[in-house]
Amino acid sequence: MRKITEFRSGKLAVAVTALLALAGGFVGISAAAASQPQAQPNTAVTGETYIIGTDTTFAPFEYRKDGELTGIDMDLIRDIAKNQGFTVEIKSLGFDAALQALQSNQVDGVIAGMSITDERKLIFDFSDPYFDSGVQMAVAEDNTKITGYADLAGETVVAKRGSEGETFANSIKDEYGFTVKALADSATMYDDVKAGNSVAVFDDYPVLAYGISQNNGLKSVTEKEQGSSYGFAVNKGQNPELLAAFNTGLAELKSNGEYQAILDSYLEQPAPVAASGFFGLLSDSLPALMKGLGLTLLATALSIVIALVLGVLFGFFKVSESRVLRGIASVYVSIFRGTPLLVQAFFFYFGLPQLTGQSIDVLTAGVLTLSLNAGAYMTEIVRGGIQSVDPGQTEAGRSLGLGYVTTMRRVVLPQAVKIMTPSFINQFVMTLKDTSLLAVIGFAELTYQGQQIYAANFRTGETLLIVAALYFIVINLLTMLSNKLDKRFNK
Amino acid sequence: MSKISVTGLRKSFGSNEVLKGLDVEILEGEVVCVIGPSGSGKSTFLRCLNKLDELSAGTVIVDGFNLGDKTVDLNEVRQHIGMVFQHFNLFPHMTVLQNIMLAPVELKKESTADARTTALKLLDRVGLADKATARPAQLSGGQKQRVAIARSLAVNPDIMLFDEATSALDPEMVGEVLQVIRDLAAEGMTMVVVTHEMGFAREVADRVIFMADGVIVEEGTPAELFGNPQQARTQDFLSKVL
Repeated sequence: MRKITEFRSGKLAVAVTALLALAGGFVGISAAAASQPQAQPNTAVTGETYIIGTDTTFAPFEYRKDGELTGIDMDLIRDIAKNQGFTVEIKSLGFDAALQALQSNQVDGVIAGMSITDERKLIFDFSDPYFDSGVQMAVAEDNTKITGYADLAGETVVAKRGSEGETFANSIKDEYGFTVKALADSATMYDDVKAGNSVAVFDDYPVLAYGISQNNGLKSVTEKEQGSSYGFAVNKGQNPELLAAFNTGLAELKSNGEYQAILDSYLEQPAPVAASGFFGLLSDSLPALMKGLGLTLLATALSIVIALVLGVLFGFFKVSESRVLRGIASVYVSIFRGTPLLVQAFFFYFGLPQLTGQSIDVLTAGVLTLSLNAGAYMTEIVRGGIQSVDPGQTEAGRSLGLGYVTTMRRVVLPQAVKIMTPSFINQFVMTLKDTSLLAVIGFAELTYQGQQIYAANFRTGETLLIVAALYFIVINLLTMLSNKLDKRFNK
Repeated sequence: MSKISVTGLRKSFGSNEVLKGLDVEILEGEVVCVIGPSGSGKSTFLRCLNKLDELSAGTVIVDGFNLGDKTVDLNEVRQHIGMVFQHFNLFPHMTVLQNIMLAPVELKKESTADARTTALKLLDRVGLADKATARPAQLSGGQKQRVAIARSLAVNPDIMLFDEATSALDPEMVGEVLQVIRDLAAEGMTMVVVTHEMGFAREVADRVIFMADGVIVEEGTPAELFGNPQQARTQDFLSKVL
């Protein structure tokens, strides 16, 4: 059995999961979660493939360089895998998401610069420590007022949610009289400080040092605090052979000097930064962004087609004479319109696998979320369209002796479709934009690709400008095309 | 022979009883005009004759079909009864010709080619042969109503129901529509005409029914009803409209 009770960010997801499960009538399925296949202990790892979750960006432990995941963690896990004869498939999910994925057995292990804490030990099994970290404070480069913790009185600082930095900041906030705000990733925190929304950031020192070396606009003003150690984690009681292999591999890398070589390559000589101009950034980032755009369009296309089918089906339910069908459609619409899209995405990607024991890939989860969500709005569009056709039209059709179906098909629907089309186009655009929310579950669409890029180069504003411009261009082109088709066919 | 036979017809919308027990016999070829103040139940009575409104109680037998009988194919019965609405209810996404051809083709009564021939003939009959390819939005009110009549006639009904067919028209267009109805009457069509046109009722009707508050107050030939009304309610109504 898994223990998922005490982990902080896990709690919310579990509660939401349970709530939605009740609402959605998934209760019966949850029983199946108890009988998950348990991994056999002492099975050799040789030839096995393990899925490893990690943060999106936690440089220098994991970040993207030229589109490829790199960093201390990445080198370490790949070298250990090679050393021990197994294969790893890395999934770059984000820190919170990676831990939730581990709890729901979507991934076999997590390596994400994660501090080993007592709290986490309750739900995960940790490897031997592979890095001794510590928390350090940094402020904006041009900030001369803050030189120590004592200057923080009355100010707001940021720390990464669920991280060692947050724990440390919270432990001294009463003593020095400041407020702690938690954000999800390092790049966002640094921008928050640069924008002046908070005066200082508490982050793991190697991460901070790397960022400063990349001209992230910050400087450190205090010494690093003695902190905890990073470990590789597997779900409690799962994959013990993977954990054992990691420990053996780590020991071997340490003894043969490879371990030190990896650390040195990232910490001793941070990569020199040649800040390219805006067009340099554009041409560097465009390949990754176009890949993301492709996935955005794929998810949109799949979702909108499924949503259309759902919308027509439930829309007809809504205008039918059967109270049962109307009820079914109403429940469907109120569930998916009455809960945030983000919660639905978390539910389908993290919650559902925990309930069913069946893992689900991120595209499927994303399309499921978007199509069910858009389908609810489509249902209302279809219902509204049909009901906005003058009832006299139906009466005229029926009084001629035409049946219900024929009257619908020849008289009501052609008029309703015309009324519905602008709303359909609107929903299509909404769904396209909503795909950006799938970045939180690690779906590598356009926004996610943008986050990856600015997380590594700290050029948030310019990168987001390019991302926004791509959305703008694509959405407006598609809207123009849709309107043209509307004019052509709905004359 | 009785073409329409109504006994004890009651109709309620929620707690509001609109028809409070009507008994009417209408013979083949007879033209019956129904008059009365607004809200008297005239239109509801008409809509019960082809069951656009469900019956709350009583029986309606049309052309031998009992409308209360669940096994009766309503779509079949309705092909015997044409209906013309106050607001025309033409299909705006179709041309005039397509409006008229829709039912005969969908009901497989006629091939598309035959339906077209029939439709053109009907248009000619209502004086709109030149409007075959026009859209309803391009027609005047009077022209729309004449198309609507042609559309009803396309399924070859033997009863026609007119629900205040001229009420939504500008005064100068009333005449052209009434003329079409008058021609149908002359051809021996069985008709029930709900109308506010007293002059027309007096001229065309074989019988006039005066309704008020969901009951038939009085009925008779136009001469009897308009010339010598027996009931105070009828006299009061006629004194206001004549």
